[in-house]
Amino acid sequence: MTDLDHRPANLEAEPYGPPSGSLADLLERVLDKGIVIAGDIKIDLLDIELLTIRLRLFIASVDTAKKAGIDWWETDPALSSRAARDALAEENERLRARLDALEEATAESSGAAR
Amino acid sequence: MNGPSATAPGVVCVFAVTGAPPDPGALASAAGHEEGGPLRVLPAGGLCLVVQDVPAASFGEEALAERLNRPEDLERLARAHHRGVAAAAGRGPVVPLPMATLYHGDASAVRAVASRRPVLESLLDRLRDRTEWAVKVHAAERAADASAQAEASATGGRGYLSRASARRRDQRHAHGRALGEAEAVDTELRRFAVAATRHRPQSDRLTGRRTPQLLNGAYLVNDADRTAFTRALDRITADGRYPGVRVEASGPWIPYSFARWDEEPEPAAAHRREAPA
Repeated sequence: MTDLDHRPANLEAEPYGPPSGSLADLLERVLDKGIVIAGDIKIDLLDIELLTIRLRLFIASVDTAKKAGIDWWETDPALSSRAARDALAEENERLRARLDALEEATAESSGAAR
Repeated sequence: MNGPSATAPGVVCVFAVTGAPPDPGALASAAGHEEGGPLRVLPAGGLCLVVQDVPAASFGEEALAERLNRPEDLERLARAHHRGVAAAAGRGPVVPLPMATLYHGDASAVRAVASRRPVLESLLDRLRDRTEWAVKVHAAERAADASAQAEASATGGRGYLSRASARRRDQRHAHGRALGEAEAVDTELRRFAVAATRHRPQSDRLTGRRTPQLLNGAYLVNDADRTAFTRALDRITADGRYPGVRVEASGPWIPYSFARWDEEPEPAAAHRREAPA
């Protein structure tokens, strides 16, 4: 076969479940899409943008950790220097994501002004 | 815990809209949000809402904003939402609502949905017996830089500059070729889909790849065409026609990306950003 992610054998078991490891795909679908019906409780869309980026980074770091066999996200950083380093790396990633989002927002607003 | 019988209207989370009542067994066995009660069906003018009573303490505006900002909580919320939508989807088409569509009480939720009944019904028709497939195309990792090696004999500043410019030229060339292949993949898959749309390609840091994501597509496929679609996917990845890209697919998905009415039904040209203005 190929490196495709779809597994026809699983279709019966869970017809609509996302294949494992595709949380990013799921988020793209449940968060990024247009609001079909506005609820009574509002979510700030700009924040949604930002936190989507952050969660994706979080997922990416979890995946990386899984590949390396580290369950750092279930570990108290205080108990593990490795987890603490990963926590720092994650914070670094988050800050970068935030900077990216801010830069993008600035670029977009200056683009819109033209 | 909040129940349907709570006196003060609590917060009601709506997962999805269906035409026919969903399978009660599927609802009973599905867990929605961890903090909430059981999933239940709320009739709304001929349509059915799959809802869950959730505590205001965790789903009020402030509490929700705080939880959404914690990645692990956001993941829990997203998965719970998907469980609720999937439980609604057993017996026919489903229109999934965006995550955390929340109302103050049943009456408010029913009003919001009933007032949009014609649009929801046409969406249900559009999504009937169809699933969504996610396809991501990345540029392939390139082998050793041939032209750079060829010119490696040139030394000094001029040699360096000429190597650098040859490398840039190669990169531009390869990128253009990969983009063309991504478009061809998209064109081929659209032949087996009733609609297609594009999400914004994910950045390299999100994908964790060294090569850019060129296409982040979603395809709405008739159940009857599913085999043809997955065969097309297999052909695309198997026969080496597109050596410049890597294609990855996941599915079948509940058609989240097509459950909107603000989108052009005609898929072919609607999302081509590169089309001249």
